[in-house]
Amino acid sequence: MAAGVDAGKATESVRVVGITKRFPGVVANHDVSFAVTAGTIHAIVGENGAGKSTLMKILYGVQKPDEGQIEVNGKPVTLSTPADAIAQGIGMVFQHFQLADNLTVTENIVLGAEKLHGIGAAARAEILRISQAYGFGLDPDELVESLGVGERQRVEILKVLYRGARIIILDEPTAVLVPQEVDALFANLRELKAQGNTLLFISHKLDEVRAVADAITVIRRGTTVDTVTPASVTSRQLAELMVGSELPSPSTEESTVTDRVLLQLRDIEVLDAAGRPELSGIDLTLHAGEVLGIAGVEGNGQTELVEAIIGMRKASRGTVTLGAEDITTWSTGRRRELGIGVIPEDRHRHGLLLDSPLWENRILGHQTRPPSVRGPWIDRSGARADAARIIAEYDVRTPGIDTSARALSGGNQQKFIVGREMSGDPQLLIAAHPTRGVDVGAQAAIWDHIRAARRDGLAVLLISADLDELIGLSDSIKVILRGRFVGDFDPHTVTPEQLGSAMTGAGSD
Amino acid sequence: MRPNIKEGILRRLSKIAVVALIASMTLTGCGKDDNKASTGDGANASKDVCQSATGTGPKVGLAFDVGGAGDRSFNDSAIVGMQKAADDLGATCISATPGSATESDEDRAERLRTLADQGYNPVIGIGFIYSVAMNTVAAEFPETNFAVIDGFDPDTKPNANVAYLGFAEQQGSYLVGVAAALKTKSKTVGFVGGTRGDLIKKFEAGYTAGVKSVDKNIKVLVTYLTEDPNDGATGFQNPSGGKVAAEGQLDKGADVIYHASGKSGNGVFEAVTAAGDGKFAIGVDSDQYLTASADEQPHILTSMLKRVDVATFNMIKSVADGSPLTSYTTYDLAQDGVGYATSGGFVDDISAQLDEAAAKIKSGEIKVPDKP
Amino acid sequence: MAQRPTNLARRAGLGLIAPALALVIAAALSSLLLVSTGDDVGGFWTTLTTKPENRNIVNILNYGLVLYLSGIAAAIGFRMNLFNIGVEGQYRIGAFVAAVVAGEAWLPGKANIVLAVLAAMVAAGLWAGIAGLLRVTRGVSEVISTIMLNAIAGLLVGYFVQKVGVSTGVSRSTKAIPEESWVGGIKLFDGVPTQLFGLALLAPVVGVVYYVVLNKTRFGFNLRASGASETAAVASGVDVKRMIIVSMVFSGVIAGLIGMPTLFGSAHNYGSSFQTGIGFAGIAVALLGRNHPIGIAFAALVFSFLQDRAGLLNILAGISPEIVAVTQGIIVLAVVIAYEIVRRYRANLERAHVAQQVEEVRA
Repeated sequence: MAAGVDAGKATESVRVVGITKRFPGVVANHDVSFAVTAGTIHAIVGENGAGKSTLMKILYGVQKPDEGQIEVNGKPVTLSTPADAIAQGIGMVFQHFQLADNLTVTENIVLGAEKLHGIGAAARAEILRISQAYGFGLDPDELVESLGVGERQRVEILKVLYRGARIIILDEPTAVLVPQEVDALFANLRELKAQGNTLLFISHKLDEVRAVADAITVIRRGTTVDTVTPASVTSRQLAELMVGSELPSPSTEESTVTDRVLLQLRDIEVLDAAGRPELSGIDLTLHAGEVLGIAGVEGNGQTELVEAIIGMRKASRGTVTLGAEDITTWSTGRRRELGIGVIPEDRHRHGLLLDSPLWENRILGHQTRPPSVRGPWIDRSGARADAARIIAEYDVRTPGIDTSARALSGGNQQKFIVGREMSGDPQLLIAAHPTRGVDVGAQAAIWDHIRAARRDGLAVLLISADLDELIGLSDSIKVILRGRFVGDFDPHTVTPEQLGSAMTGAGSD
Repeated sequence: MRPNIKEGILRRLSKIAVVALIASMTLTGCGKDDNKASTGDGANASKDVCQSATGTGPKVGLAFDVGGAGDRSFNDSAIVGMQKAADDLGATCISATPGSATESDEDRAERLRTLADQGYNPVIGIGFIYSVAMNTVAAEFPETNFAVIDGFDPDTKPNANVAYLGFAEQQGSYLVGVAAALKTKSKTVGFVGGTRGDLIKKFEAGYTAGVKSVDKNIKVLVTYLTEDPNDGATGFQNPSGGKVAAEGQLDKGADVIYHASGKSGNGVFEAVTAAGDGKFAIGVDSDQYLTASADEQPHILTSMLKRVDVATFNMIKSVADGSPLTSYTTYDLAQDGVGYATSGGFVDDISAQLDEAAAKIKSGEIKVPDKP
Repeated sequence: MAQRPTNLARRAGLGLIAPALALVIAAALSSLLLVSTGDDVGGFWTTLTTKPENRNIVNILNYGLVLYLSGIAAAIGFRMNLFNIGVEGQYRIGAFVAAVVAGEAWLPGKANIVLAVLAAMVAAGLWAGIAGLLRVTRGVSEVISTIMLNAIAGLLVGYFVQKVGVSTGVSRSTKAIPEESWVGGIKLFDGVPTQLFGLALLAPVVGVVYYVVLNKTRFGFNLRASGASETAAVASGVDVKRMIIVSMVFSGVIAGLIGMPTLFGSAHNYGSSFQTGIGFAGIAVALLGRNHPIGIAFAALVFSFLQDRAGLLNILAGISPEIVAVTQGIIVLAVVIAYEIVRRYRANLERAHVAQQVEEVRA
């Protein structure tokens, strides 16, 4: 198709023609073609696993394409290493910041580019100049550890500009930001654009893409589907281009909240190693059939809250009650046995044995309960049968139960975890960022499962950074800030902006 | 996620690498061999004598402990005896050395067995470590004559074809103790032993007695390189350990240091040489002045001679003569089995006192203790 | 459909490629080394490839089985991501304690053996437990603590042999075990002076127990889960601290058995000629054997075979036997690299396979 390639424009910064990249047995990119007009913000959208990351790696010289051609500013180039890309004026801002906390802004930026302006006053002056030119407002001498997320991201962008990039690739830059920070980022991006830089913006948040991009290229299953302008499509149309089908949305049906209290936290306090409170004064009541959403900027105590409930962290004060049992002093194992299912926020670290086959992963967290064990023995056939059941019921796409968890895509891993955690009659389901890094298809399925759990009378604690997801699924929402609950909201009336204000502490106090 | 996975692999790999490193280090014998010593003339000497000898006399099988030839001390002394046998009796030989520190009595037995099997006779185990293995194998080859230097019979059943060749090391050590006492200016002398076991304690006991016989007030500093009697590597093949031990004693004021630590003694020489004029080391087993470097020679006062060469030669000769040695033989001062070296001439001025002490030991007037 | 069996076959083949690759690399590098030092490469290979005499076969089996115990002891820790470098110290403590108990002969005959073996297991287990305890309570890396405990074990045993031992010639050892408590050898060949140690048969038993416990029990699952991902294990309700201590102790308990075949089969006391270094060799064996009971058996035999042949090298070929230690070292390093390469290749293969299958499902 080679959609969206308008030939002959002299002002193209990047032009990609027929890029194909194969990994053993998989075609990650197939005949990818698009062109980016100089001085514009060009968005690349697609589901997780559609091939965006591979494409970006090719553009940044991390991987070499098997076929196809890349032109930068009208000239064909070969990008074998990131150094080649930098030499061509291409820079990349990674989703996960690559900054050293205990170094200053200047030191972080200069690191690895000492040849450009030295490491002294000249470097500092250059950094200050760039920062002022684009209105970044960064202090070159500040330690990175004292910077907020938005500022750190600006340091990353500055790092790229410092190295002379005029074409900047941003990989999911908004994933870690709250709405207000997103606005600030977009202001920066527009300023960058105004001064003649070209921006390649990768995302799957369609509203944001439409707000900021001048052109949008959609990738589906490794190939470019179309390039459109934001004015010509709605978010919904865009999403359908991405998924290739009708789109679900997170919304609950009528309330199923009962008055049976399942989980109750009273005055919970959790201290870190140094004795500083990470959670304090946490009170929470969760009923059967209720979904309670927890909103907050990451790192404000969500992780600790989950760990305190499942017993991975000991509360220094307060009580945890599940059903009729006071489980404050119980071990994680006993608590899980009592019926707590957990979809962990980091499924690779907390939810799976990546190198073990799926059927063994079925046993994880259920080591004391049938069908995976019989007394002190592993019930191999029981576990295998039940793993097969989960794969069928939860539409986990895998060749079989002997496949290792690592081989599955994020969405399929997550569906498997959901299926496993719903096994064995849980009373309480804790879902931390259940749809993060999951493709749209799996996202819809996971939402369905959460709704089903609620219908079945489970209590669900939903922690998410996706405010739409929270608003769509929850019966009530609490906002957590610096280890405390700072507000209760009714999802039927609240807007993402209100939540965002509460999350950053702007609205309350 | 990508960078995380990579980090994980890196961490895993580096942890595995540490383990692999440790494993391979221990497999190759801890890398403690000091090149200077092991590539020294001794190693070539054993090769030389066993390669060059072409006589028609006895075919001798020499079984060494880990490290083998090249210690310029105990093992090389045996080679000197072998060389003499080659010259005088037309003996030929082969030397066998373990490849790793991980050896059991079964491995040692197999070495002796292979030697006996190949027709070597006598088969001599250089070091008491062969005692147990010898006991097993001697019974399997009644026609072969065996000998163990410093050896003993581990059970009550006597072996008709094994000679246990022991030494009165305490007597020789007594004499070098007297020399040390007469030469010290700081009234502090040192002793560096390999492993703390009954064998090396004999050296210490004799040395201390000798020192005290001259002046009860002289302080004797005693250091063993390891308390672990199974750890011959740390005890006897550890020049860097010997150096550290000697440096410690020098710091405490010792100006004469006697070592009984095999190859580790090379480190003692190094430390004493570095400490400069007026500091002396006393060698052990061989006349170590002869194998020391030109730098070290001015610092080697004397050596306690343990005539492993004599014992080795006698054993070979007895086989050549058709009346092989068996059972226990103790080489003491009276039969020149132990003594002291005069190379370098540092003890010429005190030879009268030394000879007097020697005479008293021979006559039994002085009973030298063999336990500290 | 036809895809499946070939894929499986390929995966099984991959499992064998890594160790084979490592052995080939080690052989090539060793030959190269010999050539560069001007040694007799032909003699090296002739000695190494000559069929061992019957008595050597017995020796190889004896040492191989002892190494197997050591490999399993190390593997228990490895499976849980605990790098127990301390098998060395643990087995020496165990062997010493058993030698003392058996030498004292508080119980008659065979009961004495049982008591002594149990004492060895307990002593070695507790010794290993120290490292586990330090890790759990003070966060001390078990690599560091076990290395230190090895040194302490050697010194402690040395000290006590001096204290309580009896003098034998110029060295000391523990009291000899009374003859009624010896464990007789098993005759494999006629007319051969060496016999298989009776207690070496503990090795296959331990291998089976290791396999069953690790793969068939809840405990084994928890252990493997803790090793594969400590965080996931904690989240799933495994008390990882407890698991660390328990698996460390188990590792030590098996280590306690290492010295038993020799002690009761030939040495009959613990003295200065008692074999050391088996614990370190076990680490290499476990690495080479991929922590798998069969793989470890294979690795133990390879190492034992090389050790046996090494003894002949300077007698038959005039080559310094240290070359074999170098070969063993190269094998270990090569194996680590080869496994990692194969592991990555296999992971890619599987991922590709999944992608393919999913495509088929979608299509």
